Amino acid sequence: MHNRTFGILAFVLVTWVMQGCSMIQSVEPWQKGNLAKPEMTFDNDPLETGYKEHIYSSKEASSGGSGVGGGGCGCN
Amino acid sequence: MAAIKHHKQLPELGAALLSAAMALPCVMGVAHAESAPEKGTLSFKYLDYKERQQIADGASAGYGLSDSKSGASAFDDRIRVKATASKLVLPINSEWSMSGTLITDSISGASPAYHTEALTGMKDFRRAVDTSLTHYSPDGTFTLGVNHSGERDYVSRGVSLLATRATENKNTTWTAGIGVNRDQINPSNRIVFNETKNGTDLLLGVTQVMSMNDIVQFNLGYYKGHGYYSDPYKIYDERPRNRNHETLQTRWNHHFSELNATTRLAYRFYTDNWGIRSHTFDAEWVQNVGWGWSAAPAIRYYTQTAAKFYVEADPSLSPFPPNPPMGAQYFSEDQRMSAFGGLAFGMKLVKQINLDTKVDFKFEQYGQKGSWILSGKGSQGLAPFYARSIQVGLTHAF
Repeated sequence: MHNRTFGILAFVLVTWVMQGCSMIQSVEPWQKGNLAKPEMTFDNDPLETGYKEHIYSSKEASSGGSGVGGGGCGCN
Repeated sequence: MAAIKHHKQLPELGAALLSAAMALPCVMGVAHAESAPEKGTLSFKYLDYKERQQIADGASAGYGLSDSKSGASAFDDRIRVKATASKLVLPINSEWSMSGTLITDSISGASPAYHTEALTGMKDFRRAVDTSLTHYSPDGTFTLGVNHSGERDYVSRGVSLLATRATENKNTTWTAGIGVNRDQINPSNRIVFNETKNGTDLLLGVTQVMSMNDIVQFNLGYYKGHGYYSDPYKIYDERPRNRNHETLQTRWNHHFSELNATTRLAYRFYTDNWGIRSHTFDAEWVQNVGWGWSAAPAIRYYTQTAAKFYVEADPSLSPFPPNPPMGAQYFSEDQRMSAFGGLAFGMKLVKQINLDTKVDFKFEQYGQKGSWILSGKGSQGLAPFYARSIQVGLTHAF
């Protein structure tokens, strides 16, 4: 059951990405001032991300999403 | 049974990965040089995390078993964690950099032995070390990571590899990663001895610059593990020895030039072979306010279905836990396996002191309730759960 949901979601996502190709604007290096701001990057505070993932994965059933590795714990 | 399920889901994941790979030509270009950071970075962050749980209506017998100090308070204190995290990123030359993170957790307090009742005291200390070595090449980066985490009753060791590949204009970055973990479990109550839990993580992602003010990221994750997933400190807790989960994550950052503000939006879909499906929504507004200050209010909503072996609470039986269904192979009365929704509000303040140094402060409040579930009926008979966390950090580049 969950496999099918995941398959559908993955398909929708990939279709959206491919559609998105036409929306992509070519951005030149000298136009990247805003993109270079720390808040525009996806992992601008790795220690905060670490705490957040650790807290929520020990209080909820879900984990993972954006990375690999990192230590497991007992966390009861 | 689990093996059959597993074979069924692999082709679907394969198809998803293949479709993702097919999207590649429209964004693929010729790779261009990436190089190590020019400066080293030293960061430190302190965390104070404190849980409390409302005493359930009609759970007076459970209350009697608890460690609560007075009847005046409608809340019991649960786990408290005081943690420190220190991270050093050091460029070796233009092609190599290394990083090391040390985390210490002091954990104390009490957690329920079943559902939200029968509190049992606990105390532990955890020390985790993460090290990594990154190579920067004309094609992208390659990172090897090694991690170790140790508690009195739990030791985890892991190795990971992460590769990125960017197009010439650096507007598209592909990411592929694998992580392997080997965990050893020796609970203090000796209910089991030298148990193990081994898992493998796979990740495939793409980050795309959409415009001067937009960047998006998609990640597909897959985990497959085998071993001891039960909670040794809970009554009636027998979980399957196989766990597979798949995640799909989307993130989108948008900068509003005229407001000097950024929205950070994220969504994650999670599904596993235990019957748990969850959705996580994150939204953050980062407002630059001048003089090096920024303020970022954030909201997070989480909702999950229950594990198929979760045994619902029955407060009428209190102080006794409900028996698992007759002949059930797997069962758990852990609140985290129930159906619920979670809501968090946070506020983060950052002050850039000078070009190389900044300090940050974050406060977050979290709540969890059966009735906060997105659709359907959440699990009944559980006391709402709350937690607050405070973080104070310092980052210095040198």
